[in-house]
Amino acid sequence: MFEIDDLKKGFGTAGARALFEGLSMRVQRGECVAIMGESGVGKSTLLNCMAGLEPADGGSIRLDGSELVGLGDDALAGLRRRSFGFVFQAFHILPHLDVAQNVALPLWLLDVDDAEADRRARAMLERVGLRDRARDWPRELSGGELQRVAIARALVHRPSLVLADEPTGNLDPGRAAGVLDLLLECIRDAGAMGILVTHSQAAALRADRILRLTAGGLLPEAERT
Amino acid sequence: MAWRRIWRTLVFAVCGELAVSAATAGPDYPPVLAGTVLRFPEDGGAHPDFRTEWWYVTGWITDERGVERGFQVTFFRVRTGIGEDNPSRFAPRQLVLAHAAIADPAAGRLLHAERSERALDPLAGAATGATRVWIRDWQLAWTQDHYRSRVDAGSFAFDLRFVPPGPPVLNGDNGFSQKAGDPKHASHYYSRPQLAVSGSLRVDGATVAVTGRAWLDHEWSSELLPEGARGWDWIGINLHDGGSLMAFRMRDERGGALWSAGTLRTDGETRALRPGQVAFTPQRRWRSPRTGAEYAVEWSIDIDGRRLELRPLMDDQELDSRRSTGAVYWEGAVRLLESGREIGRGYLEMTGYAERLRM
Amino acid sequence: MSRVLGRIFVASLARRRLATALSLFAIALGVALGLAVQIIHGAALDEFGRGMRLLAGEADLQVAGPRDGFDDALYGRLAMRDEVADASPVVELEVRLPAHDRSLPIFGIDALRVARVHPALMPQVDEARRDGAALAALQSDALFLSPAAEAELGVSAGERLEVLAGTRVVSLRVAGAVPGAGQGRVLAVMDIAAAQQLFGRSGRITRIDLSLKPGIDVAAARDALAPGLPAGVEVLTPRASEALAAGLSRAYRVNLTMLAAIALVTGGFLVFSTQFLAVARRRQEFAFLRALGLERGALMRGLLVEGAVVGFAGGLLGIALGHGFAAVAFDVAGGDLGAGYFSGMTPALRFDLPASGTYLLLGVLAGLAGAWLPAREARRMLPARALKSGDEASMFRFHPRPRRAAACLAGAAVLCLLPPLGGVPVFGYLAVALILVGAVLVLPMLVRGVTRIASRPRRALWRLANARLAAAPGQGVVAGAGVVASVALAVAMAIMVASFRDSVDRWLTAVLPADLYVSASPQGTSGFLDPAALARIAALPGVSRTMPVRFDTVRLDDRHLPVSLIARPLDGGRLLPLVGLATPPPVGEKPAWVSEAMADLFALGAGDRLVLPLGGNPVAFRVAGVWRDYARQQGAVAIELADYRAATGDLVANDVGVFLAAGTSFDTVAAAVRDILGENAVRIASPGEIRARSLAIFDRTFLVTYAMEAVAVLIGLFGVSTSFAVLAIARRKEFGVLRHLGMTRGEVGRLITLEGVLTAAAGTALGLVAGTAVAFVLIEVVNRQSFHWSMDLHVPFGGLLVFAAIVIALAGLAARVSGYQAMRGSAVLAVREDW
Repeated sequence: MFEIDDLKKGFGTAGARALFEGLSMRVQRGECVAIMGESGVGKSTLLNCMAGLEPADGGSIRLDGSELVGLGDDALAGLRRRSFGFVFQAFHILPHLDVAQNVALPLWLLDVDDAEADRRARAMLERVGLRDRARDWPRELSGGELQRVAIARALVHRPSLVLADEPTGNLDPGRAAGVLDLLLECIRDAGAMGILVTHSQAAALRADRILRLTAGGLLPEAERT
Repeated sequence: MAWRRIWRTLVFAVCGELAVSAATAGPDYPPVLAGTVLRFPEDGGAHPDFRTEWWYVTGWITDERGVERGFQVTFFRVRTGIGEDNPSRFAPRQLVLAHAAIADPAAGRLLHAERSERALDPLAGAATGATRVWIRDWQLAWTQDHYRSRVDAGSFAFDLRFVPPGPPVLNGDNGFSQKAGDPKHASHYYSRPQLAVSGSLRVDGATVAVTGRAWLDHEWSSELLPEGARGWDWIGINLHDGGSLMAFRMRDERGGALWSAGTLRTDGETRALRPGQVAFTPQRRWRSPRTGAEYAVEWSIDIDGRRLELRPLMDDQELDSRRSTGAVYWEGAVRLLESGREIGRGYLEMTGYAERLRM
Repeated sequence: MSRVLGRIFVASLARRRLATALSLFAIALGVALGLAVQIIHGAALDEFGRGMRLLAGEADLQVAGPRDGFDDALYGRLAMRDEVADASPVVELEVRLPAHDRSLPIFGIDALRVARVHPALMPQVDEARRDGAALAALQSDALFLSPAAEAELGVSAGERLEVLAGTRVVSLRVAGAVPGAGQGRVLAVMDIAAAQQLFGRSGRITRIDLSLKPGIDVAAARDALAPGLPAGVEVLTPRASEALAAGLSRAYRVNLTMLAAIALVTGGFLVFSTQFLAVARRRQEFAFLRALGLERGALMRGLLVEGAVVGFAGGLLGIALGHGFAAVAFDVAGGDLGAGYFSGMTPALRFDLPASGTYLLLGVLAGLAGAWLPAREARRMLPARALKSGDEASMFRFHPRPRRAAACLAGAAVLCLLPPLGGVPVFGYLAVALILVGAVLVLPMLVRGVTRIASRPRRALWRLANARLAAAPGQGVVAGAGVVASVALAVAMAIMVASFRDSVDRWLTAVLPADLYVSASPQGTSGFLDPAALARIAALPGVSRTMPVRFDTVRLDDRHLPVSLIARPLDGGRLLPLVGLATPPPVGEKPAWVSEAMADLFALGAGDRLVLPLGGNPVAFRVAGVWRDYARQQGAVAIELADYRAATGDLVANDVGVFLAAGTSFDTVAAAVRDILGENAVRIASPGEIRARSLAIFDRTFLVTYAMEAVAVLIGLFGVSTSFAVLAIARRKEFGVLRHLGMTRGEVGRLITLEGVLTAAAGTALGLVAGTAVAFVLIEVVNRQSFHWSMDLHVPFGGLLVFAAIVIALAGLAARVSGYQAMRGSAVLAVREDW
């Protein structure tokens, strides 16, 4: 269970102006939630706050009951390492590691031994349909393939929560649907939670729920329509 | 190393092993001439014009506990012929060398030490006018009626006073001592036998008072050794009856006598012994474990018809300083016997027995 | 974690091979130079110390006096002292060999005594030639050569060697060897009396070595012996004299070590540049890793390890290079790198483990220090922001820190006022470091100023370059820091050396007033001109006046090395290159002029009383002025020849300066002098020749300095080139966009070049200013404190401007070449790609 209560975040000097406040949401295990919103409304900031990459100015963020707000930098890093998975719009696949190594990277950070990490990375690659590309270099892969590597990497260490920031933003619409389906499927299969930040209606519709981030807070899409 | 060889050269130049040919360019050394009258104490001093000169004291000493030992102290003076025109105080015109040794039967061999210096006031020198030779704190000097010699060699030391009972005994023809058939090989030579010794001796860290009898030889010459001589055998014995006996022979390569002579003083009368009146016959031999040289340590000596026997205080009285200065000779305390009865004590010197020196 | 370290961080070094290689090589050069200097001087000092010990033998004490020695009667007195076990007298001579055009140290010794006090000097009579040569070592014409002397002179036992005694050439017989002298030591031994007579030293010795009786306390014996000695003769402990002599070259060694250290620091700068740029480029990667859960500390450690790895590899390469440099230097320049401190020795090259270890550590430290700031920057990075592209620009937003810059420069000024520590101008060097740091801190402000000027032109290229530099002055700092440091160093050394050379040149003119110099002992003491020879030279037709010169050394106390004594007609000091005003002494007092070194070392000033031991007696003088002397670092005092002769009765001269009558040719008089004195007995030179020779020696001494300077500039240029190469790669996307917008490849290339030139111009300008400041510190503080001599500032403007232009042009070229490489890829790809 991932819970956000009364979250507040400002910007400017010492958060003088509120970007958002009073945000609350719940995500259950096995559930994928899409967050939509206009540009500049603070979608990415919200995501960063959820991941502990940016500090919140108030409120509470709890993952399976443990509080994130107020944790130290290293504690947050440890939490991210164990319980979070990330998928970025720009993929962020390291060019000097091969595909399998990129996928194994989170396991390295968790001190899983090489053989086990490689085994799990390959299993994950098989899951995303890239079994044969394990020893290829990232530069040899297409954008859709790179994002599938990123999905494998986001899930290889069995995180509780996967955060995806415009995961299909760099992909053509044809590929986007497949990649997105794969991501959501993997999250559900793993019994994890997914939060998908996007401005694409088509992408958002594939999630279990849609929340819209506005100046007034996080509103369920259903209430708006 | 180098200095060992130089020392060796020096010592044997002095001792006569090295026949320096007269052709060698050098200063005009005055010849030793018969008929020269020796005067004392003046002639007890140095004669710096002559090539070599030595003062040589040997004797038997007894400490309060009755332990008998032999001792030897020798000062050599050499006119090198080098730097005669050099005004420097360091000019090596004259060298002074000294040997000192103690024959201690308890040790079974000699304790010995040596020094060498260029004559350089006040460090080392050989004075004229009366006997006074010294190398720093080692010295031998005549004052009024006695000699005194002090030596401190670290492992042993002595400070002895020698009182002569009478005037010097002139060897040979009134102090002209011929060394070969050719009279140019000769020295001025006198002895002071029957010196009464008193003083102190330090061995093994203990200083003891000693008394005894000693013998002093003083000899100077410019050309001592004849061609073909390899070494010599010499004795100086204080006879128990108050007399004294000096005898020597020059030896050739094969060990035969080239020349021999001596001086016998009995009942206040001095007799010069001519070559035919002195004969040395080796008896028992002893081989040095250090140098391999073989010495006759017991002799029978014929002096003008009398047959005398020489017995050493101990066999090993070889002076082996090859490690430091290179000189090797036998110089030891001996008893003189006649018909099995001891008639005197003194010193025996044997040179030129070690392996042929590489010059 | 170690896998992440290895695969993410260290592996990234392999991806940017050029930049890594250049940083590595820069550190390697710094380490190599420092280590080579260390090894060479270590070996030379070692050999020097061994030589000193060899000559001191097993002596407990040494009694030493002036170079011309003291009355040898002292020997007998000391040798008979109760404390003394053995004494060994020595006459030390430096004897000219007319056939070899060099000199040979000859030790006149007492062969009968030497064995006990210093066995190493014992002569060994040649085995093969001993026939009839009894007392060979005492013979007055017998000379014994050390193995090195035999080898260098090509003379062996049985042959003869000609030496110069006075103005006479004398042939000596080589009678054997001095086997104990050791391999590298050129010397000869002969009998002391023969040496005294042959070289006109009758009654004089220069040294007595004493070994004390067992149980005698060295210090107590020294105190007991000292009062009885004549003026100018001191009792020394051999170790103290070794330390004094080694101290003489210490300042020189420290100077060279400092140059090497600056090279190393420049290497560190380069690591900084490349690491900084690498961090900028990999900012998103690091942000992503942080998002994945990498701790700040681990990130920083990873980057520091990268720097340390570069430093370690560079250090290892540097150790190998350093030993190679040292080997070459031993061959080419000798153990003192041409400075003349350790002549007559050939030290052996050995692997120096402690020094190598130290320099390896320094290399690692340079790598770490270079990586420190970038790593700290990465640690501070906000991952959420850095994940977005373009954020690296924030790294280059350096804040100008005028206060810190001012504090550094003010600190440097204060440090210049402090005295040296142990004869080494530590604070001077710190001031130099602070000036460099201050200059680097000023750089962002200067870059901003430069862009303001550069914003005038309206052309797009200039605007773009200007915008880039203004938005990210840090880029200029990073690329320019190496330029500032290396240009400053090079400029400082250039100004210092130019000033020095200029001053030496003028000094030589001042100290060589005559038209022709006849020197009987240009290097040594064996030659001299007796009064008869002097009179005959003075009487030659065409000679208007002569100026005899007598050289000696005097020992003023046992804490300093002996100072040189120069006695010649001085015309009330008018014939000396005085510094400041002359103050003639009161009537009836004898004037003496002290060199700057002597004034510093003995705390003397004009008007002070000075007692010089002349001829064994204390003679009172009054300091009438201070003169500049570049020849004698341990100090020199000049007095009127007439005063010297009156005090000592010594009428000979070492040199004579001859003033020619108008219309007389140099060659005629030179030939006439040779006729009088013999062909090989003296050297005759014109002031021009002496000057040329002296300046040639000067240039040789500074050869190493030039080489190190070149290396520093090279490393600085590496910095520009790597910075721009890395920047160009990092800015591929930007360039791609520019090309999308319609710029040609050539235009983008010119843009990069322009940026490079502007950066280098700022860096070079600052380097020129900082270098001048550093030069001022070197001249007024470092040299003054190290060598005790002053010089007049002489700035070689033309040369410096050409140098600056070349540096700027090379920087532009480096930027262009490295940018071009980055431009080869497709513009479309560059825009699309993230990495």
